[in-house]
Amino acid sequence: MKTRFNPWTWLWVTVATLFFFMPLWGTFDFSLRMKRGAITFLAYEKVFADPKFLQSFRYSATMGLITVIVSIILFVPTTYWIHLKLPRLRPLVELLTLLPFIIPVIVLVFGLIRTFSRPPFRMTQTAFTTDILITAGYVILSMPFMFRAVDVGMRAIDVRTLTEAAQSLGAGWLRVLLSVILPNLRVAILSGSLITFATVVGELILADFLVRPALGPYMVVVGGGKAYEPAALGILSFALTWICLGIIQLVSRGDVRLQPIGR
Amino acid sequence: MAFLEISGVTKHFGSGAGAAVDDFSLSIERGEFVSFLGPSGCGKTTTLRVVAGFEQASAGSVQINGVDVSSIPANRRNVGMVFQAYALFPNMTVAENVGFGLRVAGQSAALMQARVAAMLDLIRLPDYGQRYPHQLSGGQQQRVALARALAVQPQLLLLDEPLSALDAKIRVELRSEIRRIQQELKLTTIYVTHDQEEALSLSDRIVVMNLGRIEQVGTPFEIYNYPRSAFTASFVGHLNLLPVQITDAASGTCTFEGTALASSQPAPNKQAVSARLAIRPEELVLGGAGANRLSGRVVSVNFLGNVVRLRVRVGAVELSVDMFNERKLVLPAVDAQVVLSFPAHACWLMD
Repeated sequence: MKTRFNPWTWLWVTVATLFFFMPLWGTFDFSLRMKRGAITFLAYEKVFADPKFLQSFRYSATMGLITVIVSIILFVPTTYWIHLKLPRLRPLVELLTLLPFIIPVIVLVFGLIRTFSRPPFRMTQTAFTTDILITAGYVILSMPFMFRAVDVGMRAIDVRTLTEAAQSLGAGWLRVLLSVILPNLRVAILSGSLITFATVVGELILADFLVRPALGPYMVVVGGGKAYEPAALGILSFALTWICLGIIQLVSRGDVRLQPIGR
Repeated sequence: MAFLEISGVTKHFGSGAGAAVDDFSLSIERGEFVSFLGPSGCGKTTTLRVVAGFEQASAGSVQINGVDVSSIPANRRNVGMVFQAYALFPNMTVAENVGFGLRVAGQSAALMQARVAAMLDLIRLPDYGQRYPHQLSGGQQQRVALARALAVQPQLLLLDEPLSALDAKIRVELRSEIRRIQQELKLTTIYVTHDQEEALSLSDRIVVMNLGRIEQVGTPFEIYNYPRSAFTASFVGHLNLLPVQITDAASGTCTFEGTALASSQPAPNKQAVSARLAIRPEELVLGGAGANRLSGRVVSVNFLGNVVRLRVRVGAVELSVDMFNERKLVLPAVDAQVVLSFPAHACWLMD
């Protein structure tokens, strides 16, 4: 079917583009005008010069990595098992993983604090145990992304038959998972991981209420007292997310082996 | 004791559901090629999966070479399996796929390389080692899957509808390839299919299954020519059935709309008054000198190349008549009156 030129299409595309990009452009433009009458990256220099920025970024990035690792360890085998042995549970699990979209984070964090800050847990008393708590919270927040990515990846390959083929060739469970299932889920796991990472790095409420030195709370503090630096920070965090998305695009396009096999 | 003994295997999926496989017993000799033939849902694949170790039987046992394998997991049974969906590992090259089982078994690189090369020669794809599965056609992928299953020298080869996903031409080609390789390696093989032509052309013996039960076990010749149940008779090949009144159950004589007909076997049920007379389309002859004669009207003539298939209305029923093509053959016209004849030994009575 040949699509004819439709002025309405172009109108809506233009409106949507302006809607999304004008605030972004405005912020970017503003972040370059710290020095009166000149376009400079001074605001960015200031941001990078602030040791607190680097500290909070390092903290958030570390937590992001830990969350990614925990999510993979938790969700890959679980999803695999559901596909293999309990396919009837899939709709239920899918619904469960959507809960973070339905329940506000503020409810989650109050639940965490109420349950785990009192005896017998007392987990908010030291930084280390609070980090465990916050990681758990991050894993829950990233659940919709991670589960979905892995689930879609497993549906693209015939997990069950591949498993049985490997088993009939003598492979045990660990072998099947490591040499057959995981390599074929590379793209799925990577995209799940990058979205998870971006979510954690930009997260505000969990870190704020659990009082951890993450990037989100830092941005709020900076935003309260300064004008140009928050704009620069905003652009930076956008850039980080986009880099993550770009990597996903790049990798999933490059991997021709995961294209469906002709039957 | 036979090489593979399947005794009383029964499989229920969930309580309350009927048996997917019901009391399946079969002995298979070393080097034998046995097909499980039946419609979908007849339990043939489930039985195969019990032998492979992917399903646990609810009752009964499987013994391979004198060893009860019921409690041995699939990955330690040394049973090769080929799937309908090929199931090649998409992240590995053809050579890595074929070598996978050897790598799992911890074989040396040199031995692996030699064995992979030998296998690729066997399936006649010697130059395809470095390709990925998605670069191969369906038929080539299934050959590789076969090579992968054979590389570990399994004591038993199981094929689960391996040709069902392929085009008709490739199917016939690969069919003879499978038979050649099986005979070359003298490998005990179970082949699951719903395609009677595949079963008839490949097998030493066919197990016809229906509703989880064995209907009949026999050589292709026996199954086709001496079906013991109505199901087998109609599932394997075409069959004409005439509703008849029995005149003498012991000698197998009967009448069809007033015409006396003779069969060579006694009726299966001595008390029955009516039965069905079964006859294959290729046993009916136009004109001819057979003992049994029926007259009818030609409804349609289908020229299929090597075979001409007629539909002839005789009284209340329509019969299929197959005859071989010849250049001097004169095809009857539609609506022509014809006489069909068949010998007594070509037909039999069924309930």
